[in-house]
Amino acid sequence: MNSLIFSLLPLLLFLSGCAVTGQHSATQPVHATSSAVGDDFANVQVQKVDDPFQGVNRAMFGFNDKLTTYALRPVAHGYALIVPLPARTGISNFFDNLQFPVRLVNSVLQGKLKRSAQETGKFVFNSTFGIGGLFRVSDHVSGLTDIPPEDFGQTLAAWGLPPGPYLVVPVLGPSDCRDIVGFGVDWAITPLDWHPLGVVRWTIIGNAASFGLSATRYINGLPKAIEAYDQVKAGAVDPYIALRDGYLSYRAAQVKK
Amino acid sequence: MRSNLFPFILKSTLALAILGTIGLSGAASVDDPLAMLRSSVDDVLAVAYSGHGNENLPARVRPLLEKSFAFDLVTRQAMGPGWRQFSPADQKRVSDLFSELVIRTYSARVVGTQRPKITYGTPSELAPDRREIPTHVTVPSSSEPFAVVYRLIKFPTGWRIYDVLIEGVSFVANYRAQFDEIIQKGGAPAVIRTLEAKLAAPVESRS
Repeated sequence: MNSLIFSLLPLLLFLSGCAVTGQHSATQPVHATSSAVGDDFANVQVQKVDDPFQGVNRAMFGFNDKLTTYALRPVAHGYALIVPLPARTGISNFFDNLQFPVRLVNSVLQGKLKRSAQETGKFVFNSTFGIGGLFRVSDHVSGLTDIPPEDFGQTLAAWGLPPGPYLVVPVLGPSDCRDIVGFGVDWAITPLDWHPLGVVRWTIIGNAASFGLSATRYINGLPKAIEAYDQVKAGAVDPYIALRDGYLSYRAAQVKK
Repeated sequence: MRSNLFPFILKSTLALAILGTIGLSGAASVDDPLAMLRSSVDDVLAVAYSGHGNENLPARVRPLLEKSFAFDLVTRQAMGPGWRQFSPADQKRVSDLFSELVIRTYSARVVGTQRPKITYGTPSELAPDRREIPTHVTVPSSSEPFAVVYRLIKFPTGWRIYDVLIEGVSFVANYRAQFDEIIQKGGAPAVIRTLEAKLAAPVESRS
């Protein structure tokens, strides 16, 4: 129980920080939506940006970029050489399938009952016919394909919470206040991470296994994540802003689904 | 006589009718944003997966993209209202440089190891002269399909693409967000400097 409180403490501190900055940022002008007169310009909707910590964020972005170049990219490259794409897809399907409780809980919390049923059907199909989730056989079942994944960040959005200031988190990358809280809550309900939280009895073996699985999930996702990052960076004239707008627009689109 | 004439008349009417439909369908394909999008995406994919690899792809794709993209509009929208303060010479220079960047970025995106499978949704009307067409792109080996939405505008010469949204991220709005600050700080000269530096960076050299 102690460990649970300690795990949530930073989250609570963070929440209060977000609440304070949220008040400040409400009065800040958003220059990205400068008054457009000609219809040419009004046709493009620029994502509203709340970025009061831009200085720190840019520093973090630089740090993450170096981390990607010097540490993560070699790891991802080596991993991709050893584990070919079909195996990586299988592993990512496996972890995706394990994330089912997160998607189910959030579908329910948003009152999306049809989606909850779809998620459950998908989980049952893939866990059985898909051999523990390694194969996503549900892709061949009508009604179970292309289900937009729900998370707690989207649940908070559905409940009317604004995204709050944009944040670049060390190692994890772009986020915002709402999504950081969402990330914490989803982490708490991910079966893989129950060990450190002390929900399941605290044992060294249990923790090591949980850590190992989480690390595998992270590394397995790296090649794809780095490829996406490289694509954003390749075309960008200001990679920090390209990634910020990309993240915020992508999340806004997910919330709508 | 009469009996011989009738089949002749019938035939020519038929021929006319067939010709008419061909003419009409020809006009319809110019008028139909979905048909235009399909054919231009197919053309680009045919070039990208012709077996020549990435070698000089931007140059090979350029004529196709120039036919299907409204580059002037794309540039103006990416620059935002600040564009009006650019001198005509600067506008021309920015337009040339930015089009080159778009062509490079697009060709880098379109090429992969496997030819993607694309399914087209129903166009919806944004304005009388603007349409939005949702598509789903599936790469055979990758698990997740992704959503690509095309926005088209009607010109007297036909439909042209003026924005592409990948998973909700608008190509034009993403550039607008980036150029906003550059324009505020240094106007057109800063934009030109930034674009020149960006285009000088990759291996492929600009003519």
